[in-house]
Order: sequence, then C-alpha cells, then structure tokens
Amino acid sequence: MTDRVDKIGSGWRQGTKTFPWPRLTNAQSEKMWGFLLIAPFMIFFAVFFLLPYGMVIWLSVVDWHPRGVTEYVGLQNYVDVVEMPSAQKSMFNSFYYALMVVPISTALSLLTAVLIVSLRSSSMRSFFQAAFYLPGVISGLAVAIIWRFVFDFHVGVLNYFLSLVKLEPVNWLGNIYAALPSLAGMAIVSSNGVAIIIFCAALLSIPSSLYDAAAVDGAAFWRKHWSITLPLLTPAMLYVIVVSTLGALQVFVPVYVLTRGGPVHSTITVGYYIYNQLIFYANAGTAAAAGLLLLVATVGFTVFQFRRFSQVVEF
Amino acid sequence: MATQSRLNRQTPSLIETLQLRLLPEGSASAIRYLALLMVLVLAGISLFPLYWALITSFKHPSEVATIPPSFVLTRPVLKNYVDLMTGSGVANSPVLKWFWNSVFTGAVFTLGVVLVASLAGYSFARKRFPGRDKLFWLIISTMLVPAWSTLIASYVLTLKLGMHDTYWALILPGLASPFALFLFRQFAVTLPDELFQAARIDGAHELQLWYLITLPLSRPVLATLAIFTFTYHWNDFLWPLLVLNKPQIYTMPVGVSIIMFQLKGTGPAYGIGMSAAILMSVLPIVAFVLMQKQMIQGITIGSLKG
Repeated sequence: MTDRVDKIGSGWRQGTKTFPWPRLTNAQSEKMWGFLLIAPFMIFFAVFFLLPYGMVIWLSVVDWHPRGVTEYVGLQNYVDVVEMPSAQKSMFNSFYYALMVVPISTALSLLTAVLIVSLRSSSMRSFFQAAFYLPGVISGLAVAIIWRFVFDFHVGVLNYFLSLVKLEPVNWLGNIYAALPSLAGMAIVSSNGVAIIIFCAALLSIPSSLYDAAAVDGAAFWRKHWSITLPLLTPAMLYVIVVSTLGALQVFVPVYVLTRGGPVHSTITVGYYIYNQLIFYANAGTAAAAGLLLLVATVGFTVFQFRRFSQVVEF
Repeated sequence: MATQSRLNRQTPSLIETLQLRLLPEGSASAIRYLALLMVLVLAGISLFPLYWALITSFKHPSEVATIPPSFVLTRPVLKNYVDLMTGSGVANSPVLKWFWNSVFTGAVFTLGVVLVASLAGYSFARKRFPGRDKLFWLIISTMLVPAWSTLIASYVLTLKLGMHDTYWALILPGLASPFALFLFRQFAVTLPDELFQAARIDGAHELQLWYLITLPLSRPVLATLAIFTFTYHWNDFLWPLLVLNKPQIYTMPVGVSIIMFQLKGTGPAYGIGMSAAILMSVLPIVAFVLMQKQMIQGITIGSLKG
C-alpha cells in the first residue's frame, strides 16, 4: 500500500497544466476524462455494433453483390422472405423449437435448483452447481458432434437404450417428425447450467424471515412456496426465460452439424435460413431482411414477456 | 444424523435455516436422501454425453461403433487423437495451425476486450459526464438483440474492410464487448469512494486512479472476465465460419467442422469426432475448474444485481 501511495504523487497535477492547455475546472476535467476513457470502447462499439444496424437496414432494401453493382429494390427482399416457403418454414420451426425448449428447460432448471438448494452441505451444493454448468462451458460445436454420435441410427447409445427395453429404434435425425424435437431434447439436456446457477442464487437470497413469518401464520408447505418462493423468483425467472428464448430463436450450430436443415426442411431454423441465403445464395439482401424480421419478432416477444411478468410481480 | 450435525454448530447459518424452511416439516432425512438421489440422476444425464465422448475418444477405432457399446474403457489408445492431428485422410487440414490460430487470436482478443472494457467500465462507474447512464443502457440493451439481425451487416462490413481471411476479422469486431463492460462496471461501482478521494488528494492522475487503484482491486473480476472472454472466443463457431475461407487461417472449431463434414462421420470416424470434441473442450473445462467460484459469481452478477 505504501509504495502505491508514493507512486501516486508522481503524476501530473491538476491545475498545473501550462499554456497552451486551457485550465479546466474539476467538473470539466472529470467530463473530459469520462469521455476520454470510454473513447476506445465507443469507437469499436460505433464501428462494429452501431454501424451494422444502419447497414442492415440499407442491405435489406438493396440487391447486394460482393462485386459489381448494388441496386435499390425497395421492399422486394421482404416480399421474397415472406413469400418463400423455406423462410416461412424456418420462422415456424424456430418458434416451435423455442416453445419446446424454453418451458421445459426452465422448469427442469428450477426443479434442479430447488433440489440442489435443499442439499445439506455447501460443498455438495457447489459441486452439483459445477457439475450442471460443466456441459455449458464446452463449445456448442463439440456438444453437437458428441450428440451426432449419441443420436446415430445404427450405433448410437440412444437407440441401444431403446433396444434394451425392447423398443423399435428411432431415426432421431432422419425422421421429419422426430428431427426438431431431437434437437430440442439435446438443448434441454445440455444447456441448463446457467439457469440452474441463477435459480440457486435467487433461492438462497430469499430472506428466511419471510418463511418464519409464514410459519407463524400457519401457512402450509405448498402455500409458502406459492406465495413466497415463486413471486420472489420472478426476476430470476424473467431473466432466464428472456435469455433462453433469445438463444432458442437463434439456434444454428446444432442444425448445421446434425441435420443441415433437413430432412425436407423439417429442421430449417431462421439462423440456418439466413446462413444459407448469405453463404450459398450470396443473397445478403434477403438475409438482412430476414434478420430484421427476426429482430422485430424477438423484441416483440421479449416485451410481451416483460409485460406479462410485470403484471405478476406487482402485488 | 441431521440433528446431530446441526447441534455441532453453535448457530445455524442463514442458508441452513432457509433449507429447513424449503422442505416440508418433519421430513428430515428421507426427503433429503430422495433429493440427493434425484440430483445425482439429473447430473448423470447431463454429464453422460461428455463421459461418453471422453471414453470413446480413447477407444481403438475398431471398438468405437460396436453393438452393444462398451461403457467402460478397457484398453485406452491415442489412435483417434493421432489420426486427428495427422489430418485423418482429409486433405489440407493443418490441425496444429488451427490450434495456434485459436490460441493466438483468443489471447490478443481477450487482452483487448479486458483493456477496453476496464477503461470504459471504470469511466461509466466513477466519472460524471452528460448522457452517461443513457449511453450505458444503450450499450447494454444491444445484448438483448439477436446477433443474427446484424450479423449479415458485420459480414459485409468486414468484407469491405478487407478483413476476411485475416486475424483482424477474429479480433476487432467483438472487441467492444457489452457483457465485459457490464461486468466490470458493476464491480467498479462497488469500490469505496474514499479510496479515490484519498488518491486524488495525494495528487493522483486520472489514469493512475485506473491502473493503480481500480485494476489491482478488481483482479478477481478481471480474471473472471478474461476466462469468460477467452472461452467465448475459443468456442465461437458461427462468426469464424462466415469470415474464414482458407484452411490456413481456420480456427479450431471451423477446421474440425470441415473434417467432420468430409468424414461423413459414420462408424469408426466417430472416434475422431469425439477426440476433436474433447480436444476443443479441454481448455474451457480446465479454466472453469480453476476459476469455478468466480465464474459462478460472474453469471449471477448479470441477472440479480443489475
């Protein structure tokens, strides 16, 4: 600590700045340094985050070519997206996928978190939190490669387990009805870690005095959880649902590795559709239009969730 | 047993009292063991694929795709890893170069993100300037926008800037990370103001307040941030897949996906796939095991204290 203080004295002193620097008041200098310190961040943010927002709107109304002329086509790209069967299918699939993944994995995470919190020793609690989070730290690509083996029709363990209980093998990824639910199942099993940790923290932060008061009032077990635990978990629940909906609507890597959108477009998602338009058809305009439609749908969905939850929270 | 262990401690902690409240009264040990059993089963299900990949990667290719499958490893061999490293018959697949590309760009990226975000985070937390909070929430709100909607524009932008097939495309676009800024700012806000006032009275310069006071005190959050950032970059697949087209510049995930695609991944080729999956997972898992506590805290900062 002492050497730190010594070093500090050697800096430029405020107010001793000479000509040609204007003398700044403290408030002015604070303002200037505030802007100066955020400048590096803001420059990169403006170029690589804000500029693309403008560009994507421009891209969505032009016919874009990597080389050659770019023509203004008005709303044609949007019309193309809305009318293209594969785009319609991808929107439907993405929402269907999100509707399968979000409620089930949220409920499962909550259940797991309640079980973990009810464990006695704190070392065991952190052990299980880590165990559930572990599959979440590895890359989505690695998870998808592993599951491709698990789902294999001939040598996959899933069909082996089915054969143990004398059931017919399922063509998990090759059947048009099974493929998307299979992808959803994979997501449900392998990506609960973050939600579980958030729910655990939320459960542990509920003040125990509330439960004491409820016990004094003679509230029963379920009544206590219905009136105390669930309402107080609402912020955590909202966060988990919003984040996982956002993730589910954008799913791409499992589709790319496991099914490539097939069989017969049964697993084509918005992400995969945009990727296809951009890379295979070099159709950045259509891809941009689809991306903006996804943005509108997602923001709408998020706002809807916030409103519904805020009604629940206000008691 | 349960009551005994409680009596050993003089005062039950808040967590313990709460636990007693969470479960029905008078259902001490039986329900506790049932809960433990259920957690074990759920953890088993969620960890099984990883275990399965691990043992498969060490099997001999002839034993990889057998019916019935063997769930224990009898004779571990490195054949799958050797096959992967030597390109496994797929032309033009310099795996070690891919590994290096991932490590190098990941390290530079992480350094850049931490530097830029800690400067800005310090400013957003401790400086007063007009529009500060509005600007901060504008940046944070971009986290709620699906990446896909601007990805096409980022692709076109980096193409026009001539960054495709260079390291720049892997480093620059994500450098201003809203998540990193948020994490660092939330931490810097909690530092005691007296510290900064005392340093200022001693004549500390603004930059000294940042690197002599803020940075040393935020070492834990910096480490967490560095690990999150590196893991994110290491695992990122979609962006490199879009902007890299030459095998020499591929990152590990892109290269592995190309190998997997060319092998068509059936039968014994699964062994190579599993070894690739394990190889890609080692760094994130080691980092997580070392930094477990801080990372778990880092996750909850975003959701609860925001």
